[in-house]
Amino acid sequence: MSVFTLEASLALLGLVLLLLEAFKPEISRRTLGYTAMAGTALALVLLPLCGTQLPEFMQPWHQIDTLALFYKGFALVITLLVLWLTLECAPYLTRFTLDGKLAEMFSLPLIVCAGMMWMASARDLVTIFITLELVTISFYVLVAFARKSALSLEAGVKYLILGALSTGVLVYGIAWIYGATGSMNFDAIGKALANPATSKSAALFGAAMLLVGLGFKVAAAPFHMWVPDVYQGAPTPVTTFLSVGSKAAGFVVLTRALDAFAAPGSIIGSEVQSLLLVGGSLTVLLGSLPAIFQTSVKRLLAYSSISHAGYLLLALACGSGGRFDIGSNGIVAFYLATYLPMTVLGFLALGLMRVNGQGEDLGDFQGLAKRSPLLALVITIAFASLAGLPLTAGFIGKMFVFLSLVDHGYWGALTCAVIAAAAGFYYYFRIILAMYTTEGSEKPALTLTPLTKAIACGLALVILALGVYPRPLQKVLTPPAAAVVVK
Amino acid sequence: MITLGHYLVVSGMLFALGLAGVIARRNILIIYMCLEMMLSAANLALVGFSRFHLVNGLPDYTAQSLVFFTITVAAAEVAVGLAIIVALFRTKQSVETEAITKLQG
Repeated sequence: MSVFTLEASLALLGLVLLLLEAFKPEISRRTLGYTAMAGTALALVLLPLCGTQLPEFMQPWHQIDTLALFYKGFALVITLLVLWLTLECAPYLTRFTLDGKLAEMFSLPLIVCAGMMWMASARDLVTIFITLELVTISFYVLVAFARKSALSLEAGVKYLILGALSTGVLVYGIAWIYGATGSMNFDAIGKALANPATSKSAALFGAAMLLVGLGFKVAAAPFHMWVPDVYQGAPTPVTTFLSVGSKAAGFVVLTRALDAFAAPGSIIGSEVQSLLLVGGSLTVLLGSLPAIFQTSVKRLLAYSSISHAGYLLLALACGSGGRFDIGSNGIVAFYLATYLPMTVLGFLALGLMRVNGQGEDLGDFQGLAKRSPLLALVITIAFASLAGLPLTAGFIGKMFVFLSLVDHGYWGALTCAVIAAAAGFYYYFRIILAMYTTEGSEKPALTLTPLTKAIACGLALVILALGVYPRPLQKVLTPPAAAVVVK
Repeated sequence: MITLGHYLVVSGMLFALGLAGVIARRNILIIYMCLEMMLSAANLALVGFSRFHLVNGLPDYTAQSLVFFTITVAAAEVAVGLAIIVALFRTKQSVETEAITKLQG
């Protein structure tokens, strides 16, 4: 059995759950949720056991390399966590859905997951376009899912308009890249771009449009304005999925596209790299600085998500070379792997606050350490890691990015990144300090189930483990020597 | 004689019109129509490039296959998008962008 059967089975399971919900309304949401989770968990277990061979006809547009396998695993893990978070937030979410049902909240993430896994293997622009749209259109539904909440609908419409706009720009970019290089396949595009006879202006125009389209998807400045509104309005599990899953998906595509555009000898390589540097520097600043003034923690996490996208873009801009053997693609994958547990924990806290009848503002976090010491400790670890405190996973990820920038001598971008990181320390630690004040400790305590406690502690342990001993993950992501030679 | 340049100019104009509409118009339905126009512009460019990129004397059909995918995806997007816009109209009795300004800060 090859890996791509997993993706097909997941999408099929999603459809089966959807039909079950429609024709057997007596099935409880717990059964549906646990079935979806069991399917995802099974796929995660099977992933390393499956073969990586492909039939002949698939090879031009599908590949299963280390990076693809890593992102497939990443997609499965985040889907599993989102499904669990949905069950966790169900008592609150069902207030805003029609007749208290949550069916699509369990089937659509599976379809999104299948799309993200397929995308990780994409080898040509057509596959990229289809899978990106599969993910985006499913997200339109998910964001607007809490239909009785005006905010969720508003977020849905905003995401719809900007998502569709980015799709238009993306396809137009693909058309021009095809026009300039005469191919949709990344390998062939890379070869054509190494040929000086290829029209440079057409290729650059196409690549720039493609970057703009993807910039919308990964929330890069100046195309990030939709992010705070959509993240705030969407149901919390969906926000988590958007913040981690959709961002990772965008970066897989960027990684693959840049391997073709910015390969050594490419005629548009240096221009694409400067676009990324400028975009990345703007993104870290425009994400971090407005976050200082936020009082809504959900909105603050949205801005934080923007600034993390900026660090990732800067890592990509560094390209090959530098002191790290994992390369820029490996750094991006590593950074995303550290970003997953800390973001999920941050949004888990928000979800639990809502379920317990409290708000999402900074004031609601006051005195949390007295009310729920364990949750407060776990959130402290997550926010310290988001800020980049040493001994947490976030520090290692940021260190990779900063040192790569030093190695390549991108001092301007480094300055922006350092300013953003300093601002980050301020706004993340503001939340941590609020939790440990004595005010607000008279509010009711949060109730956590044993499973919630176990998963939250597990995620916090992952953060600490990666922060202290990142070597195993680094080893997984290091490309084999042969692959480096081919590049 | 109609050349590739003619197709690209028309496609560029369609794209620019669509983008201008998205930025300037206030009615979400009209914005949605303009977005579809941008997709059509991309499709026209794809077909044009495909027709004039000859492989062994025949047009290269890779790009035209993407056009079919784009049309299908656009149909799915419209189905989902109109559903969301209808839901918005039911709650707010309006499809103007002024109706969606609650999320700010």
